[in-house]
Amino acid sequence: MRLLRSEFLRARSRRVVPMVIIGGLIGIVIGLGIAAAYNHKPSPEQIAAAQSQYQVAYQRCLNGKFLGPNQLIDARYTSIEDVCNAAVAPDLSTIMLRDVGVILEHISTFVILLGALLGASLGGADWTSNTMGTLLTWEPRRLRVFLERALVVAAVVVVVTLFLQIAFALVYWGVTSVRGVTTFLPPNLLGDVAGTMLRVSAMAIAFALVAYVLAMIGRSTVSSLGVLFGYLILFEGVIAGFRPSIMGSLFVRAAVVVIGRQPILMEPGNVSGPAGGQPIVLMDVTKAWVVVAIYVVVLGVVSVVQFQRRDVT
Amino acid sequence: MAMIEIEGLRKEYRRLRGGHTVAVAGLDLSVPEGGVFGFLGPNGAGKTTTIRCLLGLVRPSAGRLSLLGADVGHALPSVIGRVGSIVEAPAMFPRFTGRRNLEILARIHGEGDAAIDASLERVGLRDRAKDPVRTYSLGMKQRLAIAATLLRDPSLLILDEPANGLDPAGIVEVRELLRSLGAEGRTVFVSSHILSEVQQTADHVAIVAKGKLIKAGAVNEVLATTGTSGVIVKLADLEAGRRALADANIPSTIEAGAIRADVPADQSERISRTLAQAGLYVTELRPDTVDLETVFLELTKDQGVAD
Repeated sequence: MRLLRSEFLRARSRRVVPMVIIGGLIGIVIGLGIAAAYNHKPSPEQIAAAQSQYQVAYQRCLNGKFLGPNQLIDARYTSIEDVCNAAVAPDLSTIMLRDVGVILEHISTFVILLGALLGASLGGADWTSNTMGTLLTWEPRRLRVFLERALVVAAVVVVVTLFLQIAFALVYWGVTSVRGVTTFLPPNLLGDVAGTMLRVSAMAIAFALVAYVLAMIGRSTVSSLGVLFGYLILFEGVIAGFRPSIMGSLFVRAAVVVIGRQPILMEPGNVSGPAGGQPIVLMDVTKAWVVVAIYVVVLGVVSVVQFQRRDVT
Repeated sequence: MAMIEIEGLRKEYRRLRGGHTVAVAGLDLSVPEGGVFGFLGPNGAGKTTTIRCLLGLVRPSAGRLSLLGADVGHALPSVIGRVGSIVEAPAMFPRFTGRRNLEILARIHGEGDAAIDASLERVGLRDRAKDPVRTYSLGMKQRLAIAATLLRDPSLLILDEPANGLDPAGIVEVRELLRSLGAEGRTVFVSSHILSEVQQTADHVAIVAKGKLIKAGAVNEVLATTGTSGVIVKLADLEAGRRALADANIPSTIEAGAIRADVPADQSERISRTLAQAGLYVTELRPDTVDLETVFLELTKDQGVAD
């Protein structure tokens, strides 16, 4: 517990934490400032017209006319109301509060990257400052040092990413109130948005932990970020292009599936087997969680073993 | 009980292109309780590697080490709270204040503000405690690192080159600090290549070279190793003086404008009386003391570095 308190104090004192928060807030202000500048509040007549059009389309959807020929329903939907809330949108060309969940999914890449940056920095700073030796002369139990710091990384990342997402949602709400539309809200918007935020933060933690364990292996922040982005962009990007069937085992794809709750489907002709027939599920949501967990745990074990055995010079 | 016990310590590092570098080659050492123990050796002799092994930072290739009676390989966590240490350069977070660096360490052992204030006071850094460490001079960083070692009120301090890079005033400060820590009953194990400093502060010394122990013992015992003690005599007629001493069976030579009598310093009175009886009056009479540097160079002249 004492080490944990020390680790929290160390993390709290790091400049990277306020920098990430301030950078995130600046990004939110700039992004939503541009959105505010390029949108305008519809007139009451436009809203009324959209309302009547929306009600007709929504009713058609509830009557079962929501899919084209051979289309499948996403597994994340549990009722026809869910399907229709997602499929039917009011015909207004402005920013709408009802889209906040989707937009949070779209900005999740940036949130996750900030998490990875925090993980790499909190893991690599001691090596860069040469203070790991000092720390280990105070607490020689390396496993404890490793695990408690991982816990601190996860805690810092969840707090920072949730804060930024909540800040984004609140500012977005303000911008849509002034320059967009705050009506047409689906009944469970708050729950959906909260769920999205938690899933994004969970994936940010996963990426932060991977960056952290890589920093502990490479003994620097830069090596961690270099290896992580090199792997994600070059390896996962390239391999997914050449062998689509392996997408069911890739880290980034798994995170995308978790956040969007949309499985990766593939036409049968793209994988081994006869062409035609129903699409094959390469990765469903459950498998995506498992894939993410496997990446974190396997890399974590490698990092712990290496940290336990290697000399600190 | 020996505060530090090392038996047959060996540490090899693998080279990237194959083969091994031997940093420590079978070191045996015992550090008694209390006082200042100097750990001396040329660069590359294996001093820092030995200290890293003692603190569990480096895994020995062979040998047994114990700190405060606890085996380093298995029971280090049980005694680490009574050991304060600095390994090589003081390592602190440069952007944090001196106080914040100490707070981070103090929390690991549940030490509060009082211990931090006392440590800062002890090393004379209280006024600069709220400044970032990157603004500190090397001497201040060294003192901050010593303050960190004192947070736990340790029985044993292991300090690797604590006076390294300090200006003369800083060296004097560290010397005084080490003396006072040793006088408080703590054991201060200090590695250094500034031999004059060690000679002035240490009660016991060990000299290592090529990863092996060359000599260990009380400072006076080690100084007596080379047997080059004598008495320096200055007077007007050096040749007459040398003859008078030879007549009294006192061997001597004339070196650098003085007579060097090859007898122990406690024979000074006999020399003075002999010369006076011959009508020769000395202008200077002093023991030709052997310093640690001379002994060190004598003992390590054929050793070089470990690898």
